[in-house]
Amino acid sequence: MNSALAIQDLNIWFGTDVGVRRAEFHVVKNVNLELAPGERLGLVGESGSGKTTTILAAMGLLTSNAEVSGRIILDRKDILRDGELSVAPHRWKDIAMVFQGAMSAFNPVKTIGWQIAEAMQVHGVARGVAMSRRIGELLELVGIPADHASRFPHQFSGGMRQRAMIAMALACEPKVLLADEPTTALDVMVQDQVMKLLVRLSKELNLALILVTHDLAVVAQSCHRAAVMLKGEVIEQGRVADLYHRPKHEYTRKLFDATPDVFAAAQAPRRVSTPPSEVPQNAPLLDVRGLSVSYLRSRTFGDMVRGRPAEAPVAVDDVSLRVKRGEMVALVGQSGSGKTTTLQAVLGMIRPRGGSIQINGRDVTSLTSRQWRPLRRQVQMIYQDPYESLDLRYRVRSTVEEPLRVHGIGATAKERETLVSAALDRVGLTPVQRYLGRFPHELSGGQRQRVAIAAAIVLKPELLLADEPVSMLDVSVRAGVLELLNELRADSRMGILMITHDLSTAANYADRVAVMHQGRIVEEGDAATVVRSPRAPYTRALLASIPHPDPDRSGFGDSAA
Amino acid sequence: MTLSTPGTPSPELVVRFGFWPMLRDVVHQPAALAGLAIVSFFTVLALIAPLIEPYTIHEATCAVFEPPSWQHWFGCDDGGIDVFSLVLRGGRISMIVGATATLIAIGIGATVGVLSGYFGGWLDVVLMRVTDYFLVIPQIVLMIVIAAVWGPSLSHVIVVIGVLMWTSTARLIRAQVKSLRERVYVKRVEALGASHLHIIVRHIIPQVGPLLVANTVLAITVAIFNETALAFLGLSDPTAITWGTIMEHAFDRAAVSSGAWWAIVPAGVAVAVLIMGCYMLGRSIEDGLNPRLKVSYLSLHGWKLRPLVGRGPDAV
Amino acid sequence: MQGSGYVWKRVGFAVVTVFVALTLNFVLFRVLPGGPVSQISRVPNASPALKQALIAQFGLDKPLWEQYLLYLGQTLHGNLGVSYMNRQPVFDNLIEAFANTIPMVALGTILALVIGIAAGVVSAVRRGSAIDHLSTNIAVLFYAFPTQFLGMMLLIAFAGILPAAGMNDPFAIGGSRWDAFLDMLKHMILPVTTLALTLYAENALIVRSAMLETLGEDYILTAKAKGVPRGRLIRAHALRNAMLPIVTMVAMSLGAIVTGSILIEVIFSWPGIGRALYTAVLKRDYPMLQGGFLAITVVVITFNLFADLIYHKLDPRIAT
Repeated sequence: MNSALAIQDLNIWFGTDVGVRRAEFHVVKNVNLELAPGERLGLVGESGSGKTTTILAAMGLLTSNAEVSGRIILDRKDILRDGELSVAPHRWKDIAMVFQGAMSAFNPVKTIGWQIAEAMQVHGVARGVAMSRRIGELLELVGIPADHASRFPHQFSGGMRQRAMIAMALACEPKVLLADEPTTALDVMVQDQVMKLLVRLSKELNLALILVTHDLAVVAQSCHRAAVMLKGEVIEQGRVADLYHRPKHEYTRKLFDATPDVFAAAQAPRRVSTPPSEVPQNAPLLDVRGLSVSYLRSRTFGDMVRGRPAEAPVAVDDVSLRVKRGEMVALVGQSGSGKTTTLQAVLGMIRPRGGSIQINGRDVTSLTSRQWRPLRRQVQMIYQDPYESLDLRYRVRSTVEEPLRVHGIGATAKERETLVSAALDRVGLTPVQRYLGRFPHELSGGQRQRVAIAAAIVLKPELLLADEPVSMLDVSVRAGVLELLNELRADSRMGILMITHDLSTAANYADRVAVMHQGRIVEEGDAATVVRSPRAPYTRALLASIPHPDPDRSGFGDSAA
Repeated sequence: MTLSTPGTPSPELVVRFGFWPMLRDVVHQPAALAGLAIVSFFTVLALIAPLIEPYTIHEATCAVFEPPSWQHWFGCDDGGIDVFSLVLRGGRISMIVGATATLIAIGIGATVGVLSGYFGGWLDVVLMRVTDYFLVIPQIVLMIVIAAVWGPSLSHVIVVIGVLMWTSTARLIRAQVKSLRERVYVKRVEALGASHLHIIVRHIIPQVGPLLVANTVLAITVAIFNETALAFLGLSDPTAITWGTIMEHAFDRAAVSSGAWWAIVPAGVAVAVLIMGCYMLGRSIEDGLNPRLKVSYLSLHGWKLRPLVGRGPDAV
Repeated sequence: MQGSGYVWKRVGFAVVTVFVALTLNFVLFRVLPGGPVSQISRVPNASPALKQALIAQFGLDKPLWEQYLLYLGQTLHGNLGVSYMNRQPVFDNLIEAFANTIPMVALGTILALVIGIAAGVVSAVRRGSAIDHLSTNIAVLFYAFPTQFLGMMLLIAFAGILPAAGMNDPFAIGGSRWDAFLDMLKHMILPVTTLALTLYAENALIVRSAMLETLGEDYILTAKAKGVPRGRLIRAHALRNAMLPIVTMVAMSLGAIVTGSILIEVIFSWPGIGRALYTAVLKRDYPMLQGGFLAITVVVITFNLFADLIYHKLDPRIAT
């Protein structure tokens, strides 16, 4: 047996003080994992499954309310044996970690170079000139110019910070690297680069890697083996190909099914098809022509003195879009592409600089916010983060009833209650009576998103705008919410404009797809066509960077598995 | 808020959301309860002061600077007036001055903060500039100047303290409202077609409410503190009896050099205890509202090992 | 290059604030009804000749805007008028008073900072321990004591042991310079202790919560994972980041320092700026009051500017 790291019978409990009561949660249950030098293991699970806690325990980084039992074997020694005392010497020297949010994981007031140097200093790995040379080497290893060492974290882009984090993790030449959702907050193209880097380094340095993620496709493309966690337990582990082709556990199958597969969508016909041609061809519901928006920056005194204009560079440039009744259009792009700005302009929250927006044949381009108000019944919006989009002090009933009160619909409380119940029923929160009195914190993420949708459709809008409606949800509940949108489109004949960063989601559910890049629409067309035979170079690059859930398809390491 | 993503929150770091759970957490803190008890005690005492004061405060009832005794618990001052009765009476006016000045300050501060934070733009710029100037200019000196120019009077003291003390409230509330303004649920309600008034009344004010309560309670400490300071400098109404004027009077009449500590201590301790009560209550609410204080990666003791059955010495 | 924009912005703000204070001063004393200067007859013991001189000096026979310009010009030249009390130029009086105040206030403030930061850091690092509870409770206690009360208590407690009034012994004539210095130090003990105790409490409480906030940040976890030892973790990561709110705290406590030193100078008869202001109020010496207000405001604005610039030095994220 020659393992780089073995986790044996790991159990973790957390005690919490809830007011005066004490409660204990058994968060990790009998977890066993083992990996050989150079091996890459994916630890997969949804929020709260205990995957992050497991790897934090391997570094002895749990908070004081945690109790741990089990063995963490490194170099044939149980480093958990004497608790903190026996773990401490191995931190960073033998096991290092790449944290999730590289923005908050770096000390904001120290340079990147200083922070890498610190790791070497405290372990006595290098000093003086040798150390500064090593910092330069490390940065270049991850593709950052050596002279960037004197920069501060906020001067780096998200992808660069994550690379710098990896450089820092490698500073003391560890044998094992733990990566906690290293690419979650990153755009798919940056994610692609960072994952390729991790795989390359693991190969070159014979580094054992545990990759914690919720994204099965990333694991399929980068890891040899995977372990699936559910409610603190490892329910299945094995070779990635076996898990993909022959999942033993029902949950694993569900996870793979829910993982969007852009390529399958391109081959197979759309899941639900209501040919848009059946729609009566009258004027489009939403007609955006030549829209351009530039963000207003407030003018400083200095600007006025220098006669500098208050406008910043253009955020959206010459965008044209149409959405018909009963049609779902997806606007796809990475962060900063201008897709959210476009949506804000359609919603009348941002004043465009040029172009026109017509809703139902009415020009809304230059309406004031007061003139907009009655129109809002027709246009409703669904937001990205269901944890944020509901007022936590409002019960479900009040949340869904609020739009009715605002627009003075329903004369009596009873009338409104009927409408509220109908909306909740429509979004699948049944039996309705069970949900009416609940607060948001008593609902799951998917249920919250359904409440937000109910609060939008209770006004019976004709146009529904959806801002990344599922990106904050766990993979297994995404499909349900998207299915619901699809039904609203098909049954209630709503027009839906959905923005997403995920081409797979777009390809699976939308009738038409528009790809946005740097404020412009670079490609537009039928969803299947755009995915199958993309014309714009940007679309092709985007497609190439999407990880495939099938491990046999080429991925980050070209021949990963 | 930074990006939150699926699969991130480990259960031990999940902060309990919701208003009532937060309030429950606050009430369960011993400091909050102690503070609440102190503040209630003083309020009741102030209300029933005339009923329980043992002696009149308008004429001498014992000897000059008579030390504490069973008849006169806190002794007597230079005019032979019972200090216990004085302090009871003084509390009444001190607390009214403190509360009124605080209400003025919180009223101005909250209005400026909500308007500035909610509407932003030029209104925000103008209001915040004004606030900045008020923040930087040393308030006690300005209070002294204003009180000196207008002449000593209790209502002047109230107005001066109130009108000069609102700045920190305005900043705090503005910051809070500004972040609420960017919150998705506020954007969502705006997109529903709700008016600004509806959003402010139904969604913004209830959210800043607890913070405002905490701030009010904390502001009372500053107001009472300033009242005693102004009184001590002879800028309060010399005929009004407040904790501040009691101390000033005693100092003026050489209570210190006579060693008559009892003429000073009761009023001073009363101020201290009330301020302490307000502080404990206010801070507990504020800390309860700040989820960031709930995690510390540097605890005194790290995580613990729980021995497992079968974990023998030859475990490896 | 980025940074200099910020520096100029703060300097500009400070200059404008001084003008606001100047104008406020003018409005308070001249424009408002009952403003003391306009009622020149209120000047005690003024001879007709002096009145005439005052009217000429303030330009009271001229329109308001001309008075304002005159006032601005005179103030900027350091001409703050003549004290009614000792017939000395206000400017000279203020310089003398500040010279007496600064050593006492500086010593008290520095002590309060050192003790406050130490207590706050220890409390935060040992959060929930007996030391934390003890330190926090003591801090709350001192926070709650009114300054004048604390000062009087110290006076009574140390009566006869330590000098209680003034900054030197008027009867100690003929001693060496060194003796005079020691004498002044002895006189400083009580006022400085009072000031330090009043200010330390709030510092300790603020440092504690600032440290607790930084200790919950993700980079602390990163540093711990890197194997950074505890002491270094506290110093180089937690305290270094907590310095930002601490600098803000010091700037915000300038007002409290001013309040504290005025009260303390009155109690201990310290012949500084606070006492000068107090005497000016008692004697209705308006030129002194006006000058004192202006001088203290300018000093506070200057220190506030220092705090801004230090903050800028400490936080690389500030761009414009």
